[in-house]
Amino acid sequence: MNEIIGIIIAAILCWLNFVIVDTYFGLPEQPGVKGASNIGNDIKKRGGDIAGGFFQGNVLCSPDASAGTLLASIGYLLLGIPGGIIAAFFVFIGNRLCADPGYAGTCGSLTATAIIFLTSFIGLTPEMFVVGMVIAILTIMGIDQTRASIVLGKIAKKFNRHARE
Amino acid sequence: MFGLMYDAISFAAYGNSYGLGNINISPFDIIVTYVVAIICAIVVALLLRLPLLPSKPYRYSFDVSALYPTPIIAIGILSIFIILNYTFMYNGLVLAVIIGVLSALFVKYLFYAIFPKPLDDNAGEDINE
Repeated sequence: MNEIIGIIIAAILCWLNFVIVDTYFGLPEQPGVKGASNIGNDIKKRGGDIAGGFFQGNVLCSPDASAGTLLASIGYLLLGIPGGIIAAFFVFIGNRLCADPGYAGTCGSLTATAIIFLTSFIGLTPEMFVVGMVIAILTIMGIDQTRASIVLGKIAKKFNRHARE
Repeated sequence: MFGLMYDAISFAAYGNSYGLGNINISPFDIIVTYVVAIICAIVVALLLRLPLLPSKPYRYSFDVSALYPTPIIAIGILSIFIILNYTFMYNGLVLAVIIGVLSALFVKYLFYAIFPKPLDDNAGEDINE
């Protein structure tokens, strides 16, 4: 498959994977640590959505499904499917060290491993997923935080995971 | 330095091929070992009277249970053995059972010594205001 098209498809798949898994496991509902709450309140002050702000703060402060997807693609690149599972194990250890139960991180890396395995039949390689995940994180954290938080807040409302008032 | 590293790796590979684990198991066997490790971990954890599910609310619970950290630890450690190509007797089945039992024992008795819960005194102190 053409590399550019593959990277675009991989970025979309990674974005959907980590946003859906993180939202399902309740990242927008409450900040896990104090830094996440500071980031959320700051984004709200700049006109963003509080749930999206908590989401971004939690992604920043502990390894969730975003880091899980990235590490699973790197592990798959190095070692195949066992590498993805080892990535899930290490993400779990990192989660517990960051005062996080770790459900989102481990589930995210396992689903990412499954997605990379399934899409390898249509010609997507793990390298494309590494690049795609970096692009996906950039759209959430890097380009425009307030607008990204509004989009994340809408997704959280759809999943019934909006921040508790 | 790199020459030393290369020598060490090739020596390890030599021992791996001819001395320690000389069975390259098939993909089907690898799947079977994973399933055996998961089932063994869950069953032994239930025998050790760990609860099946974590306490409510599920998504914020730090409690260990038979379904959540035990199989993850078991298949993670089993993967490390598989990529090192060290599969013990019977196409890795014995290794899978041993790792399943040991991970259940670890979760039951040692888990909180290594990964302590966050302190309850400070939990949610000025986070949810």
